[in-house]
Amino acid sequence: MIGHFKFGGEKGLQMSRVFQWDLFRMGAFFTALISLGCVTGLFAFLVVQSVPILAQQKWNFLLGQDWWAGEVYGALPMIYGSLMVTGLALFLALPLALGGAVYTSEFLPAKRRLGVKALMELFAGVPGIIYGLLGVALLSGWVKDSFGLIDGNTILTAGLLLGIMILPTILTLSEDALNAVPGQYRDASLSLGLTKLQMITGAVIPEALPGIAGAIFLGMGRAMGETIAVMLVIGGLDKIADPWYDLFAPAQSIASKLGREAAEAIGTDLQWSALMALGLVLFLLVMFFTLMGHLLLKRAR
Amino acid sequence: MIQDNLLEKMVRTLLGLLTLLAIFILLVILGIVFGEGAPAIDWEFLTRASSNFGATGGILYQTAGTLLLMGGAVVVSLPVALGTALFQTEYLKSHRIKKLFRYLLYSLNGVPTILFGLVGYMVFGVALETGVSWLTGVLILAVMILPTLQVSFQQAVEALPEKYRDAGLALGLSPSAMIRSVIIPQSLFGIVTGVLLGLARAAGETAAIMFTATTFSGVLLPHSLRDPAPTLQTHILILAQEALNPQAVAHAWGAGLVLLSLTFLLIAGALFCRSRMRMESER
Repeated sequence: MIGHFKFGGEKGLQMSRVFQWDLFRMGAFFTALISLGCVTGLFAFLVVQSVPILAQQKWNFLLGQDWWAGEVYGALPMIYGSLMVTGLALFLALPLALGGAVYTSEFLPAKRRLGVKALMELFAGVPGIIYGLLGVALLSGWVKDSFGLIDGNTILTAGLLLGIMILPTILTLSEDALNAVPGQYRDASLSLGLTKLQMITGAVIPEALPGIAGAIFLGMGRAMGETIAVMLVIGGLDKIADPWYDLFAPAQSIASKLGREAAEAIGTDLQWSALMALGLVLFLLVMFFTLMGHLLLKRAR
Repeated sequence: MIQDNLLEKMVRTLLGLLTLLAIFILLVILGIVFGEGAPAIDWEFLTRASSNFGATGGILYQTAGTLLLMGGAVVVSLPVALGTALFQTEYLKSHRIKKLFRYLLYSLNGVPTILFGLVGYMVFGVALETGVSWLTGVLILAVMILPTLQVSFQQAVEALPEKYRDAGLALGLSPSAMIRSVIIPQSLFGIVTGVLLGLARAAGETAAIMFTATTFSGVLLPHSLRDPAPTLQTHILILAQEALNPQAVAHAWGAGLVLLSLTFLLIAGALFCRSRMRMESER
């Protein structure tokens, strides 16, 4: 109660300031509105522009397997392609990223740890087009020769590239989560007579698990949204491979489809709307991963 | 006990090998870009216009275009990001709205860049009639890097030691005076960090600008806001697809090395500034 009275005067002062809209406050408020408008506007725009195609094709848009511009628009092959390359990228990147994160956080001395972190953050910023160039000029040829294929542009090639691309991001973010586990957890386990290995698997990793999952989700979102690198090496065929797990088949991801067809679809009605609806599907998928990632990462902290 | 020791050693070795392999893969990539790109780079390559659709000549105007686009994007994005960050740290009291802001910005950060290209073209290019132009590209990239800048700024402001604020309050500073004379000067390293990261992100972006801000040949520098600009990113994209012309591919690697060096420099600068910021806030 005493505190309440004590701060009463200050509160009154603040109340009078609420209505004192000085230039700084107006500016800050206005720019904050712009920021909000960017996200909500983007989403609203995608929804509005996908209405024509969804009204015409209903569920067949999501379930249809054929995409012929001007006739029929089925998104399933692209959704399949996105899930395949993202899944493959994760499968390839996770052992290295998680092993690297545990080793960097738990076994490396502070200086080396910072060195690894700096390297990972540098590589997390490598432009997608550099990976695209690597893929076109080297990797697709290598895949073609080593597996005796006619064409090196396959799901495997795209998955490999994406795996390398998301490796540094997942490594450094999961390392953050491991490193943020408080020292008392470690001390408590060691004082119980556990070995360092038991401490890591029994105390540190379980405690950091939400954060590690968050890092993985963010990596998934990044892999699924990558356009340029995938577009150059995936083969660009709007078809579900037969059998579906055939990694040596060409395919198409949502992002690569958008990248390839956007320029020619500008100004058309239904084709543009179909691309926007594809964009909406991609937006919702990536948003799900990204928000899950942030939610879990925050819980870890 | 001896078994435990052996097991621990094995696991440790395995993890160390995985780490080494991860680093090795990344360094191999760096080595490839350097090995393939370096032979293509000489003074002429950096200072001449491209000719023969990029297969001969240099990358002067592509480099200038990339710098123009990323610079423009930061100029547009900086005030909005700074305002949004300050609105949240200085003026906004409700925790719910703060949370909403945070999730919206995280979402914006996760949006696949190709969507910025598609929607940005319809909003800026068509509705505001800027067409395929430098200006459209700048606006699209500005929205794209907004969360990068904003998150950096906000972290810097939130990391300010409480005593600075207390000192300002004790002097009876109004919120705006506090922002001008305490908060912005004291979080300068954080602001620079955000700007450098934003520049790096804009420099590396291809999908959002490939059909909105550039045309692939015949352009030098944009003469007005409504002209398209050539960029390193789209230059590489075109040359990379001419696999049959070794000269074109060699030039693509050269341009790739220049672009990679640019982004590495910017990120390294950001890492340096961030460590300075940490040191300041721990003082």
